Amino acid sequence: MATSTQLSNPKVQIGAAIGSLVDLTDQTTSATLTRTVEALEDTAFGTGSRTYVGGLENNELTVTMFMSYIAAETYASLKDLVGTKCTVQVNPAYGSGDSATNPGFVLTNTYLESLPVINSSLGELATIDLTFTGGVYSVDVTA
Amino acid sequence: MKYVIISPRLGTPGDEFDPGDDNVDHLVAGGFIRQSTDKPSKPSKVKTKPKE
Repeated sequence: MATSTQLSNPKVQIGAAIGSLVDLTDQTTSATLTRTVEALEDTAFGTGSRTYVGGLENNELTVTMFMSYIAAETYASLKDLVGTKCTVQVNPAYGSGDSATNPGFVLTNTYLESLPVINSSLGELATIDLTFTGGVYSVDVTA
Repeated sequence: MKYVIISPRLGTPGDEFDPGDDNVDHLVAGGFIRQSTDKPSKPSKVKTKPKE
């Protein structure tokens, strides 16, 4: 039985730099930030099991959000970030600042390769999937 | 150059936005901030009497 649970209601901010992050939480329906340290095999003769050491970090954020073309919304926030290094921050809970129990997971210099400018189906709200690749991972726990 | 926040997505509307060294043209174009029209206050014209 789970002794501590987390209602999925993260805060999602995306921008060109940490000082100009735009809060897109209310357009976002899914966010997954994964910290990955590539495994380099260092198994040698004489061992019975494969072993690995850490290589380069290769982090990733994937988000799904509703598309909107009006001022200060999804498209306006993202259109100039395509093909650039940008910064993203995701906190587990909205409404409270960075803290040890609500850490801000940050990717700095993460790369946005593509932006689906149109993803529409009849009778459905338009949504887009974004993938931010790479970048320096850090955790902000100070308000 | 000074900027003022328009969109609550970026901060509190009406607050000054300090971009530092970052290029913020896309934030202006996107309707998140605008250039501040506040002019710096003029210095006082009251002259003090020279001491004799």
